[in-house]
Amino acid sequence: MQGLKNRHVLITGGAGGIGSATAARFLEEGARVVLMDEDQTACRLVEEALPSLEPSILADVSDADSVEKAFIKLDALFNGLDILINNAGISVRNPFLDITPEQWQTVISVNLSGMFYVAQQAARRMLAGDGGVILNMGSTNGVMGYHYYADYNASKAGVIELTRSMALELGPKIRVNAVCPGFIMTPMQEAEYTPEMRRIFEEKLPLRRLGRPEDVAALFAFLASDEASFITGEYIVIDGGEIAGGLASQA
Amino acid sequence: MSKDEPLPLGLREKVALITGGASGIGRAVAHKFGQAGASVALVDIDKAGGGEVIQEIRDNGGEARFFTCDVTRVDQCEKTVDETLNVFGGLHILVNAAGMILRATVLETDEADWDRIMDVFGGLHILVNAVGAILRATVLETDEADWDRMVDVNLKGTFLMCKYALPRIIEGGGGAIVNISSGWGLVGGRRAAAYCASKGGVVLLTKAMALDHAREDIRVNCVCPGDTDTPMLREEAMQMGQPVEEFLARAADRPLGRLGTPEEVAQVALFLASDSASFITGTTLVVDGGGLAGAG
Repeated sequence: MQGLKNRHVLITGGAGGIGSATAARFLEEGARVVLMDEDQTACRLVEEALPSLEPSILADVSDADSVEKAFIKLDALFNGLDILINNAGISVRNPFLDITPEQWQTVISVNLSGMFYVAQQAARRMLAGDGGVILNMGSTNGVMGYHYYADYNASKAGVIELTRSMALELGPKIRVNAVCPGFIMTPMQEAEYTPEMRRIFEEKLPLRRLGRPEDVAALFAFLASDEASFITGEYIVIDGGEIAGGLASQA
Repeated sequence: MSKDEPLPLGLREKVALITGGASGIGRAVAHKFGQAGASVALVDIDKAGGGEVIQEIRDNGGEARFFTCDVTRVDQCEKTVDETLNVFGGLHILVNAAGMILRATVLETDEADWDRIMDVFGGLHILVNAVGAILRATVLETDEADWDRMVDVNLKGTFLMCKYALPRIIEGGGGAIVNISSGWGLVGGRRAAAYCASKGGVVLLTKAMALDHAREDIRVNCVCPGDTDTPMLREEAMQMGQPVEEFLARAADRPLGRLGTPEEVAQVALFLASDSASFITGTTLVVDGGGLAGAG
């Protein structure tokens, strides 16, 4: 892709499946990449697999102070930030009636508040420099309803609206988009899914396969590149056709 | 792309049929696909323009052939697909870029107006994407012939090309279809009723086809460009009776503060057609500098 070489890229939640695949993709494109994550052990494993990564920065994105301190470390590493992959997020499966106020608060504070804290720090640096690209991790869950993830779904719908609002205010120097994956087979899911669960998910999807972290990484790379220079304020669904129809189109 | 960068958007050994390829967005798509290594079957009713484009692609080391075809005509669509198979031995990608926008300040778009519009562009035809004639009209102002023309080119033409290209793409083991719709296929535009209806139809044709043909390994996606810097946009200003520069300045009033270029739309079509987008189907990708992000 055009315009990624030597770019400074920050990936939050970078130690996870999609985060690390995205890191690998940006390194292949010749970018300089740093992970931000709260899991030090996981960061170390990814750094071992991808030796050209910059040293990871530990932070809890749901804590504004932690994020501010992490960006001071980032400033020492990079002179300016070009691309933010705002990827950190969590999900907890629970029926609506069983979601406790604590769980609600945790999910919202990582998925939505965390995204805001990181994006605001990043945008200040991009505006002070030559501009940049911010890509927020949404989900098909932010577009359609899904059972047992009401808090997660609401947070991801929030991410989409945050994305649009940021695009309006931060353009033209910064492009802001959201990526909305459907079922992606990360190493975590691979460990979690039984063969039966996997078959059911695959059957649900028109393309009859689950996505790979590399599929999402390729979309991030495209949207961050100059190839996507006129795309902003948009959410892009990558889901094997799942929500082209949805529940209303089963028959 | 420079040599030291990877080429993830390669289309080597793929045959791509591009309608509306003689000008505007379709032309940019043809160039982009030619550069990416695809064999390009360029389809348009504009022979002279089409001939130029394939010559340019060949001069850049690509492979291209031109086929004259009116996409509103069932026999011509079928013949064009057959000819593409004869020449290239396969078909993997279809880009439906043929289309038109019809807007007019004055609604009375009778035959004379239509002819005048054609004259302005000399050989511009309804099938020429993004350079088409413009009729801006409410439902009350749109006569039946205008409606038919709009729906025939933008929607029926896309349907017909898909209908005849699909079996061939399936025979070849799957591939991708990219339809060019519009931001006005997703939200309403003032005095553009028939255009909006036809482009909205393209969006849902895309999604329905994505569901139907995913199992045959065909991905179907849609690009929705916003105001793109083409001659059509200038024609629109003229017909609205507005100074061109003022009109273009208003069109550029969006987060990125400018109009899009045909190349920027073509780059997105290339991404969606490439294997980099192999998990993306039934999706609309808006390329409009943020125009749809806000309520205004």
